[in-house]
Amino acid sequence: MPGTRNSKLETGNPPPSYRSAAGGKLCLGNVEFSSRLILGTGKFSDTETMIRAIEASGTELVTVALRRFNRDKPDDDLCAPLAKLKNVKLLPNTSGAMNAKEAVRAAQLGRELSGSPFVKVEIHPNPHHLMPDAIETFAAAKELAADGFIVLPYIPADPVLAKKLEDVGCAAVMPLGAAIGSGGGLSTVEMIKLIIRDSNIPVIVDAGLRAPSEAALAMEIGCDACLVNSAIAAANDPAGMAKAFAMGVETGFAARKAGLMSKSEIAVASSPLTSFLT
Amino acid sequence: MNLKVNGGSHEHTGDGSVSALLAELGANPEHSALTVNGDLVFSKDWKTFQFSDGDSVEVLTFVGGG
Repeated sequence: MPGTRNSKLETGNPPPSYRSAAGGKLCLGNVEFSSRLILGTGKFSDTETMIRAIEASGTELVTVALRRFNRDKPDDDLCAPLAKLKNVKLLPNTSGAMNAKEAVRAAQLGRELSGSPFVKVEIHPNPHHLMPDAIETFAAAKELAADGFIVLPYIPADPVLAKKLEDVGCAAVMPLGAAIGSGGGLSTVEMIKLIIRDSNIPVIVDAGLRAPSEAALAMEIGCDACLVNSAIAAANDPAGMAKAFAMGVETGFAARKAGLMSKSEIAVASSPLTSFLT
Repeated sequence: MNLKVNGGSHEHTGDGSVSALLAELGANPEHSALTVNGDLVFSKDWKTFQFSDGDSVEVLTFVGGG
């Protein structure tokens, strides 16, 4: 039911029931996830560090990128180490694609290689800001959804675009919090609230998060999950940060379920204002 | 047979099969996806596929990415 999902969130009432599967699990397409944290696998210092972070996070879904095989860098191949993680599914991305046609081909290659129905559509042709190309992203997402993919598009925090992507069959939308790898936090929070308000599919913040508190905020305002990469990979202790993000996501989600109190412009005393000691 | 593999010139000395090329490159077939002249070649078709002289081949695998 459009427009009702979190419209009461700011009033302090419990959030309405919405798109979660039974038991409050995250549901993407026809697949349920207990964890609401998705991890990116880029930028880690080495594969072992990445695996430890994935395990510490409890995530069940990780992104991977498709690149040319490099015989001089056999350790870059993540297929074998990720295959050992039995409870983790792959979310191939389309990074490197400059337009919808290239993204569709990358998605098909990713599905061929992984056997996974999931695809993170990302098309960001400008390397300076890496902002997603909304027009090409929409075209690719529409085609891939029609082809049976579980499509999770990385998008600008645009509620109109998000709704159109829902209409063409995307399984979720993934608005950016800030530029990829910037650590800019949840700078788009007001726009993401608008997306959440009208969305009937999961809303996943992707890109920009730097601190677990920002992940908690994203969940408190009604996001369904967070995708984090740089903040974990660049931490002094990636596994420790992965655990911290998992706790942040869980805390924010639990707080939303519990129902945040309403805001007031003025003070509302916690103690009686009468019968003072004299 | 001269092939263009991942953007570079490659002299293929095998029998022109996918398995021969991947072995030549040291690529694990189970970890590889393939395009030839821009078209995806599905792994189910690898046993019968034959490269032709001058083909442009991309051998792809998964790496870390966000």
